[in-house]
Amino acid sequence: MFDKVVALIDKKLERFDPIWQAENGVGGQRSRYYDKTGVAKYREWRGVKDTLVDYCAWLKNLAAMAKMVASAPIPCLKGFWEYRWMGSYLGTFMFIDRLFEGYRNKELKIAHMHMHAIVLSLTGRIAYILSHDRRLGASEEKSAHLVPIDEVLPPLFMTGFPDLYPVPLQTLPEFIICDVDQHIEPYYIDVAESFGIAADVCSRCAAETGVALDDAFPLIGKALVTTNMPCNASEATSMFQRRRIGMPDYQATLAMIHNEPEALPFSRKIMEETIAFIEEQYNTKFNWDAFFEGAKRMNEQNTIELEKWDFFKTTHSPLVGIAETLYKLYEWQSVNGTDPYFNKVDRKVIKIMRQAYKEKYEPYGGRTRHRAFLWGPSAVYYTDFPTWIQNCWGINIVLNMDSTMGYNMIDTSDKDKAMDDLTRQAEKACMRHMAVGGWNNVNSVWEWAKNFNCDMVLFNDNVACKGMNGVHALMEEQARDLGFHFIFIEHDLEDSRTISRQDMRKCVNNYMSVVLGEEPLDPTIVEFDDSAAY
Amino acid sequence: MKDLKHLIYFESLLQEAQNELVNKAVEDGQIALGYNCYYIPEVLMNLDGCFSSRLRAPNCTSSDVADYYMTTRNCPYVRAILERGIEGGYNYLSALFGAENCAAMERMEEHFFLINPVKNEKFFVTQIDPPMKGDKTNLDYYKVQLKLKVVDELEKRFGIDVSDAAMRKAVEEHNDLCRTVTEIGNFRKLDNPPITGYEFHVIQLVSQVCPHKLILPYLKETLEELKTRKPDKEFPYRARVILVGSEIDDPEFTKLVEMSGAYVCADRYCFGSFPSREEITIEEGETAFDAICRHYLYWNQCARFMDGFKIDQRHDIVAQLAKDYKADGVIYESMKFCEFWSYEKILANHVLTTEKHIPCCTIEKEYALGAVGQLRTRFQAFIESLEIKTIQGGN
Repeated sequence: MFDKVVALIDKKLERFDPIWQAENGVGGQRSRYYDKTGVAKYREWRGVKDTLVDYCAWLKNLAAMAKMVASAPIPCLKGFWEYRWMGSYLGTFMFIDRLFEGYRNKELKIAHMHMHAIVLSLTGRIAYILSHDRRLGASEEKSAHLVPIDEVLPPLFMTGFPDLYPVPLQTLPEFIICDVDQHIEPYYIDVAESFGIAADVCSRCAAETGVALDDAFPLIGKALVTTNMPCNASEATSMFQRRRIGMPDYQATLAMIHNEPEALPFSRKIMEETIAFIEEQYNTKFNWDAFFEGAKRMNEQNTIELEKWDFFKTTHSPLVGIAETLYKLYEWQSVNGTDPYFNKVDRKVIKIMRQAYKEKYEPYGGRTRHRAFLWGPSAVYYTDFPTWIQNCWGINIVLNMDSTMGYNMIDTSDKDKAMDDLTRQAEKACMRHMAVGGWNNVNSVWEWAKNFNCDMVLFNDNVACKGMNGVHALMEEQARDLGFHFIFIEHDLEDSRTISRQDMRKCVNNYMSVVLGEEPLDPTIVEFDDSAAY
Repeated sequence: MKDLKHLIYFESLLQEAQNELVNKAVEDGQIALGYNCYYIPEVLMNLDGCFSSRLRAPNCTSSDVADYYMTTRNCPYVRAILERGIEGGYNYLSALFGAENCAAMERMEEHFFLINPVKNEKFFVTQIDPPMKGDKTNLDYYKVQLKLKVVDELEKRFGIDVSDAAMRKAVEEHNDLCRTVTEIGNFRKLDNPPITGYEFHVIQLVSQVCPHKLILPYLKETLEELKTRKPDKEFPYRARVILVGSEIDDPEFTKLVEMSGAYVCADRYCFGSFPSREEITIEEGETAFDAICRHYLYWNQCARFMDGFKIDQRHDIVAQLAKDYKADGVIYESMKFCEFWSYEKILANHVLTTEKHIPCCTIEKEYALGAVGQLRTRFQAFIESLEIKTIQGGN
């Protein structure tokens, strides 16, 4: 009876559903927005059940934000006053709404489970870090157990120091805000360029340099761990950051050509020296039992991930697009076995996925036309790219490059084997697995795409990335030889002034309409101006 | 000053990678080994039976085909090298020993085995994973990489004798060349030197791109000539500067600085003599190979080194050169699209000016010398500021 009533209401109100509007030529996803902005006139109508799911998730996230402020009201206020980047977090709700446009049913439920885990983790971290930030008045003693580490160095090894609190240093002031707010990074990029950094270096690293020069990194801990990962510009900005932050530092320089057998002993030694450095600086000992517990969580995470991959290979996975890639990036790179809540979420999600497969569930209401493997970094997120490309052209992003980070298991009983396993996993961190370390790593994209039954490869083309510019023609030639639809999507990573969101979308629009001759699913989002949006 | 006897000959040797002496060595059965970077020890490629050839692309005015492969948004040096390779300019090479020292260089070297531009049946490419710190852990890794990807390859593919005795002999011969070039370079310390920065740049370059055994007699003769060469009555420059930066392999660039009024008294860049012409010492109980690795890691001044010791060493060495060579200032150069040097030149500029009180000028350039007018204006303004400082007593 209840279902019948809901179905009746849904039928009566379907004209407000942007998917129905697009199908019937009377509007679409963009119709409810004010021009140029990311401000919607009203929330997306998804039917009774899904609108309720979406709204409840919104409330849950709001509660997490409120809890953050309530847990550390003065540090949060000071943080807003001190740090320009804090303001960008106000755009979080718009960011989440935009990410899951067009999501319904199981994919919506999973997407919000994932996003809420990220929101919970982030809000907890923000409150904790701000209340231990010496720049905001915390004492040396109070912040002494925080360990700032480069965000690209996976923090799993830090579970061996249960009394210490690892902080991926760049994540809060730089990485996440770039995803949420396209207008904040240009400020920090300008700070770096005003100091003399060339405008053609990678904008992510320029922004990190700007944050350092602007004294906008929280001042925490007693010593810093930097890294050479993933690439040249990040190595160079690390040199600026260590100098500006001015604490003792250790540079965890793992092997760049990491697929060769000679690399492992070297990288392992570096990992061991990193641990020894923390022991020395923080006057503590590495606790193997605690580490093994962390490793078990990471193993469970990776075991579930591998099972998810089996579902991704089919057309019945309700975990799709940005809900998959953003969560995976955050869970692997930033959480990395340090937070059991993410394991709990993984367990729930895999159950839904198993059920969905049994039911032969089709995500996006079966509107997918192409399956794509995405090779894309941050520019994927602030453009809500996977969501847009599905809603507009029916291209389902099955997997992103960043989702293929280290998935080997870690021995949880033998210390020697565990250290080797930990090193292997760390070597395959964000942007390392497929971007650096030699041609074979880049070229593996085709194998991944084939294994996941993709007919299309989308390659984000960071105009400032020297490494990927260096394989431009070879990738195009490979795509042609192997018969993949292949699109280079130009972007300037975190500087949306150089290449706007619309410019990025245009790369896809041109290919889809001119090369493939296809019609968009939703004409309102083919070409639109959202330059003023967060 | 009277012209150096061999200067025009040296200049002619720099007009193409496959020059007269390279041809002669190859005809004599020597194996030509290409490299791009200091990370690959020159001395290892000069074991008996082979010779080193540091890759340049002289007179490269466009890199259209390389641009197709690597885009126009990449380092112009690597694009020029790839272009020259595709044009057939390196067909004399039997191997290219590369390094993943920067992404652009690494990608360029990959093209040498992916599209096979070098038409030589023996040709192969290896790439070492070069260390990023100067400590023992990194030294050990450096040794592993060089052994595996250079020494073992030389022995396996070409039957080169890579024994300790052979390496000691190579070190001795290498040191002889280094001593000669260093002695020539030391003239630049004089108040009124009998050699210009341009001339030294040419000499240093030929010592890197020509077979050592064939170029050494000319260098020794030049050294003798310089001992009696009379400089101009008065020092003809308004200031003395050190050039610091990346792949400066065009002596015309040094000439441009000198024509703007500054004597280039020291060369701390990738093709320069600091580092490259320091003598290798073999400690007691040390193998020649270990000594070579230790030497090259210690003296390497690459902007990619991340540890505090190497970062400070980069700046300290420039400051020491400024003192030894009586430089009034430093010109920091970076190649367009170079991530490492873009950062390093700014950091070094800050350290040298604010902490070491040495005036600096930073410039960015293309590989092929273009936009000369803009650069000249920058140099002239810098030199003027140095001159004013000198007039004002260094304040």
